[in-house]
Amino acid sequence: VEMPQEVQGLAAGEWVPSGCLGCTSWCAKEVFVVDGRAIKIRANAGSKVHGGNDCPRAHLAIQQVYDPDRIKQPMKRTNPRKGLDEDPQFVPISWDEAMDMLADKVMELRENDETHKFVLFRGRYTNINDLFYSSLPKIIGSPNNISHSSICAEAEKFGPYYTQGYWNYRDYDVANTRYMICWGVDPLCSNRQVSHYLNAFGGMLKNGVRIATVDPKYSNTAAKSEVWMPVKPGQDGALATAMAHVILSEGLWSREFVGDFTDGSNHFIPGQDANEADFEEIYSHGVVKWWNLELKDRTPEWAEEVCGVDADTIRKVAVDFASEAPHVMVFMGGGSNMQVRGAYNSMAVHALNGLVGAAENKGGTITGRSARLGSLPKPDDYMDEMATTNSKQKKIDQRGYLEFPALKDGKSGGGVVTNRVADAILMEDPYLPKVGIGYFCNFNYSCPEASRWHEAMSKLEFYAHCVTHYSEMSHFADLLLPSTHHMFEQMSSAAQKGNSFTHLWIGGRAIDPVYDVKNPESEVPWMLAEKMAERGFSNLMDFLKEFKDPETGQAPGNGIELETNAFKILTEPIWNPDAYVEAGNHGDSFDAWEAFLAKGIWNSDEYEFKKLWGKMPTATEKFEFYSETLKEALEGHAEKHGVTADDVLEACKYGESKGERAFVPHYTPPFMHGSEQEYPFAFIDCKSHMAREGRSSNCSWFQEFKDVDAGDMKWGDCIKLNPADAAALGLEDGELVRVVSPTGEAVTTLKTWSALRPGTASKTYGQGHWAMGHVAAEDFVGRKSRGANNNDFMTADYERLSGSTAFYGSFRVRIEKV
Amino acid sequence: MAKYGMVIDLQKCAGCAACSIACKNENNVPDGIFWSHYITETRGEFPKITYTYISTLCNHCDVAPCVDACPVDPKAMYKQDDGITMHDEDSCIGCRACENACPYGVIYYNERGVAPFENWQSGEAAALTEKVGGTVIPYYNPDRAITYAGIRRENKVEKCTFCDHRVINGESPYCVVACPADARIFGDLDDPNSEISQLLSSNDSTVLLPEAGTQPNVYYIHRFDVKE
Repeated sequence: VEMPQEVQGLAAGEWVPSGCLGCTSWCAKEVFVVDGRAIKIRANAGSKVHGGNDCPRAHLAIQQVYDPDRIKQPMKRTNPRKGLDEDPQFVPISWDEAMDMLADKVMELRENDETHKFVLFRGRYTNINDLFYSSLPKIIGSPNNISHSSICAEAEKFGPYYTQGYWNYRDYDVANTRYMICWGVDPLCSNRQVSHYLNAFGGMLKNGVRIATVDPKYSNTAAKSEVWMPVKPGQDGALATAMAHVILSEGLWSREFVGDFTDGSNHFIPGQDANEADFEEIYSHGVVKWWNLELKDRTPEWAEEVCGVDADTIRKVAVDFASEAPHVMVFMGGGSNMQVRGAYNSMAVHALNGLVGAAENKGGTITGRSARLGSLPKPDDYMDEMATTNSKQKKIDQRGYLEFPALKDGKSGGGVVTNRVADAILMEDPYLPKVGIGYFCNFNYSCPEASRWHEAMSKLEFYAHCVTHYSEMSHFADLLLPSTHHMFEQMSSAAQKGNSFTHLWIGGRAIDPVYDVKNPESEVPWMLAEKMAERGFSNLMDFLKEFKDPETGQAPGNGIELETNAFKILTEPIWNPDAYVEAGNHGDSFDAWEAFLAKGIWNSDEYEFKKLWGKMPTATEKFEFYSETLKEALEGHAEKHGVTADDVLEACKYGESKGERAFVPHYTPPFMHGSEQEYPFAFIDCKSHMAREGRSSNCSWFQEFKDVDAGDMKWGDCIKLNPADAAALGLEDGELVRVVSPTGEAVTTLKTWSALRPGTASKTYGQGHWAMGHVAAEDFVGRKSRGANNNDFMTADYERLSGSTAFYGSFRVRIEKV
Repeated sequence: MAKYGMVIDLQKCAGCAACSIACKNENNVPDGIFWSHYITETRGEFPKITYTYISTLCNHCDVAPCVDACPVDPKAMYKQDDGITMHDEDSCIGCRACENACPYGVIYYNERGVAPFENWQSGEAAALTEKVGGTVIPYYNPDRAITYAGIRRENKVEKCTFCDHRVINGESPYCVVACPADARIFGDLDDPNSEISQLLSSNDSTVLLPEAGTQPNVYYIHRFDVKE
């Protein structure tokens, strides 16, 4: 082979470990740094979760960090009037002045003994977030650390918790599966470990793995599926209970996991009760109760009418799935359950994994193994009497109210009700918070019925927003505290599971901060602590000084040292061999901090299948088809309010879920906002391949490839209708239309798309920013959005048992000519 | 001398566009120009739907209409010995004959009188690039300039070069590396033992617009939608 003469070599640079928080996949990455510039992103191939595989949107981070629209230094509001139509008139100030202002406001709360009126809003975060998110409010004296969790997926966790005691996302052993049902999820686009699934699907198909997709929208995952079941929005429960009916009546349940009738014959006869005493159950609880209370009449023929998927297909998928069991899985995303009545769908869909013995099994749905990490210092010793007293006040999100049980981990008010905070502020119930800090969050964009947030944030006396970009929530702030980008400008770490492993990545500061920006999780609390100490309250600084370097014992002297020390403390059982042994850790070990930082990735040992069989953390230690765990939780919440469980369900919009049925996964018709007469289209909210959680639309690559979301358009936004529906309305592809719901409206472009069920309308989330920058907004200065934000017309409502905000299967709209 | 080509396995392809974004990143490609792109199509009537996503790029044709059409002597659009259809930005006169001749629409033109990356040429954007030490854009990749203009000028065409600057350095084209699905296989079509040759001999393959007679060197195997 003839080699070319004197070829110039590729640029000498360094691949620096990092990680991506652009979605909840939390992939391990490396950043290519050339002469101090970050120019490329790739996967950290050392991860056993995703190997060397990337996703499309990771690359967009380069355009996020190098964005001239970023906030470049602290800014303060000079227009005291707040509102959507007010120009805040932000002017640049120094960090010193900014932190003086913030410290004065916090000290004012302390002087007036109303520290509970402090609130900290958290969106995305890194592993050390406890310092800022959890401990700082406590030391100031507030119970109000409000996360975004319930606008993410709490209802998705509800089903797995109230069947098998696991309040978290599951992992899926796709490498060993034989049949995969993707239910309300498009793993090639969103949910978790997208980079892993983008790679895994090809191999699965090559190996003859069959895939079925349950989703009202057609997706790339649906294209890779032999069967697409376009369930009507909100009717997932009908489909799931019918599939369970088929699996039991056809005798296809797992004898190994569930057990069998003592006489060996199948007494699950459609339309008839079975006798509990005749069934010897092994690792599950209540299968006969479930059949008798719910499933015996849930035939595929009944479900066809309700959910819009024909009976033959329901039967075929249920039989094929169960026939390949136990190495099969139902991969459940938020689509089936982040609905006003989604809790029981969540249970019904996940319960299919239990019926066929796929829960915690090879090729099935598994729970993952976490790293054993160190503990950050606890705030308790730094909470004075005021802090101790006031931090016991009610949180401002109304969790635990009769109509907001938010039963995370079985506790009444155990979880957050993020989107309710706007109403709580407007109602001043339980009280009106006064001073807030928010970071890595944009509730005025990401929460349905965003207009309530505009009003609520206008009512907050003082708000400091820590973000990289001017966002919708920033518009109502008094202070803008520009943030470092987590992938490049600060130390970051996060853990995630996938491919039956858990990884934990870490990355140092790969480049100098592009602007005068600070890490909200370490530098901001440090500066606030300094300012509060100057004002005579040193508890926060005393607490932060506890974050000593585990190697030298040195207390931090500034915010960056605090950042490093916090990560070192947290990960010490990974990089310090003695701490590794002491913690009883598993997986990779390192002999020094530098060695861990240089590799940037820790991997767990492989998951141990079946280990939890018979040891599930439920009331019965079994997989509960009849949920004693939910019974305890619901009755506990009812007792707290002096009512019955039925009353609780009535208050939570589950009026048709009564008596014993409330403790089994069951069908209940969806609660839809808007009548079919006035609002003829059931609305389908979709996720974008390009969205870094609603933050990437100021990247031109987002806009250039926006049409990778099937049926969508570049540099624009659209709502999609079936061509027949558009024709009936006299609407043409490409024209502007008004989308109207009972609580809001928005203008966007109409696109026709044959993949949609007539009577549904679909729109991808991610456009419609009037803030963020010149690319995201059509007119950034004039606050004119590019298209519409789904949350401008979606009604704020909740899956109340979990505290989740409803995003799917709960809304109707009409489409009008503009 | 090798003869380079690519196979795209549509069964592995997940339709995510990582290839196309990575291409922009590697080759400093401005907005509105797509060296790597896709054709998508939704077929059928609800509920019998299929969706296809076909990744596209320069086919590096054996019979290249773009080269035929180029009026410059020596040609600004020309074939390299390794099969790559290459472009000489210096001698390109911006006549767009190649763009018009290409049946695949994969050659793009930088408008006369409009600076590429125009929004990066002034104000806060230009200040940012200067501050971090980039060239026109802050995330400018200097590798592209090894064999070609690092950023092409106005009144010039541009297109995929199979990342020839990486290939001569022993690396695969960046789209191949960035594809999370391992759907792109790049290699020597003349080497019967190469992965690409093996794939082509063991699978039915198609090319785009075979009737155009261009003899493309980008091949497709399998189907994107398993229901097709």
